[in-house]
Amino acid sequence: MKRFWESVKIAFQSLAANKLRAFLTMLGIIIGVGAVVAMMSIGYGAQESVISSVQDIGSNLIIVVPGNREEQQQGFERMLGEDKDKEALKVEDAAMIEKDAVYIKGAAPAILNSSIVSYLNKNNRSSVYASNEKAEDIYNFDIDTGKFYSSSDVKNASNVAVIGQTVINKIFGKIDPLGKIIKIDGKNFTVIGTIKPKGTDQFGNDQDNAVSIPITTAQRKLYGIDYINMIIAQSTTEEDMGRASEEVEKILRKAHNLRANESNDFTVQNQTQLLDILGTITNIFTITISSIAGIALLVGGIGIMNIMLVSVTERTREIGIRKAVGAKNKDILFQFLTESVVLSITGGIAGIAFAVIVSLVLNRFTILTTSISAFPIILALTFSTVVGLFFGIYPAMRAARLNPIEALRYE
Amino acid sequence: MENCRENNCVIDITGISKIYRLGKIQVVALRGVDLKIMPGEFIAIMGPSGSGKSTLMNILGCLDIPDSGKYLLENTDVSKLNDNQLAEIRNKKVGFVFQTFNLLSRSNSAQNVELPLIYSKRSFIKNRKKMIIDSLDSVGLTGWEKHRPSELSGGQRQRVAIARALVNDPSIILADEPTGNLDSVTGEEIMAIFQKLNREGKTILIVTHELDIARHTNRVIYLRDGLIFREEKIDSPLNAVEMLKSMPRLEDRIKG
Repeated sequence: MKRFWESVKIAFQSLAANKLRAFLTMLGIIIGVGAVVAMMSIGYGAQESVISSVQDIGSNLIIVVPGNREEQQQGFERMLGEDKDKEALKVEDAAMIEKDAVYIKGAAPAILNSSIVSYLNKNNRSSVYASNEKAEDIYNFDIDTGKFYSSSDVKNASNVAVIGQTVINKIFGKIDPLGKIIKIDGKNFTVIGTIKPKGTDQFGNDQDNAVSIPITTAQRKLYGIDYINMIIAQSTTEEDMGRASEEVEKILRKAHNLRANESNDFTVQNQTQLLDILGTITNIFTITISSIAGIALLVGGIGIMNIMLVSVTERTREIGIRKAVGAKNKDILFQFLTESVVLSITGGIAGIAFAVIVSLVLNRFTILTTSISAFPIILALTFSTVVGLFFGIYPAMRAARLNPIEALRYE
Repeated sequence: MENCRENNCVIDITGISKIYRLGKIQVVALRGVDLKIMPGEFIAIMGPSGSGKSTLMNILGCLDIPDSGKYLLENTDVSKLNDNQLAEIRNKKVGFVFQTFNLLSRSNSAQNVELPLIYSKRSFIKNRKKMIIDSLDSVGLTGWEKHRPSELSGGQRQRVAIARALVNDPSIILADEPTGNLDSVTGEEIMAIFQKLNREGKTILIVTHELDIARHTNRVIYLRDGLIFREEKIDSPLNAVEMLKSMPRLEDRIKG
């Protein structure tokens, strides 16, 4: 152990003798490691904020959309025009899920659209969420002032709306919106509540540019349809998500009178699946970056090998002296190997420090969220050690095999 | 002196030969050399270039192995050892002093002297420092531990090299033209140190081509064409300390 630290000390001394050269040699490793750690921290940061924004919508959500997504991926029906199952989901389906499913806490039907919302002479394009009274909980629409629409509003198809902060700013300005009449696609609605600010989601969409109205009103008075876009259901617990999804599927097949050989005319997705998809995207990103960094490390490693070969030649006489006083081949091998590993690990540490600074700066001064975790740091250190060993072994072996007599005579 | 009694020699070589093959040409460097060295001897090897001095030195120093013949170093046959075993012998039993000093330029005196201890199994951390200081003391370099070779004169550098050769308390000190790169006064100073070490019981062998230097030893061996052709016993060797008294001192030389 003592001998090990002695070698590390000697390695640092001989590297310090050529500081600029050592730095330039390390640069390849610094850039490679720095790039991979910085990129991974950006990747992790993006993943984390996407996850949290998905969970902001509400937690433990199961989303049912009309049409069979798996079949549609084959693409023919879509290419030929209208989805045949476009009208498959009805308000009653949501009610049935809520009534019959054991693992479902609540289910809300929804129609999502984008419409012009206006007050007097000001107007603004907003997302319109048509749903029932359960949306308040399931969608996390927290009421700021006024109230959310009630079940009787839904039953009676009342012309009432709750509006988000961006809508208020755009069309009301400083006027109190409660009780005012707004127009959505030309129809009059009374504002009965406002929603607390939710901010932007990961993709920069303004979640406050939203209006919510009773789904019955939307069907009968705005769009003239009897179907819905989706059902959003909430499972009792996170663990029950899978069972809840199966339950929803069973209930809907029964409600739609599907025979055993018929495929679903709807698709059940849950948040876990959504997060899985996001995970896949981030993984692709990570793999791409890692391969680029791998190439950078390879180039850095070749640089180390090159400089170590030069160093062995320059220090032939030193090797001769050491051998003359009793250094064995393995002592010389170890000395030069230590030197190349010290080079690459120092480069690795510098690269990590560089990446940490970059990601802190990005976090502070840009909209990117970064997250530094132990995994890429450990990975980077492991890789730079391996690079040092791999590219250092050949020069070290050349040094170890030198004949002491010839080495001593070397000018 | 020639009658090496059983189990008492430092070095006992018989019929040592060495042939170098350079492509198709064969160069016979040594053709059957016999030599016995007793403990406490101070020997000089002389000979023109190409006589096989360096080859003999390398073999005696365990840097090289002979093609044939037998080499007993303190009753151990070292003529058939492998690289690692030779390295161990060099570390424990041989102290080298070179013409060009061969110090590590980035290391200070103490670190240079420490070098053999780094590769030694028997050095313990406690007395390591004392071993280095003692060794530097014995060559008159007390207080020069922190100086690098570039901050030392030629004579001082050679003394650091001698201290390095001494530190592991070897069986024999081998010096290859130790005064070759030094002026006559400094050379005499180095010889004074060798004579002092020899009086203290060290066995020393030097290679030189200067008869004046050789006459400081007790026995001179003349080598020619890879063979010992003459041996001379010096009954009253030159005393380096006395010689120095008759030479101009360094300060006098600077004053002119």
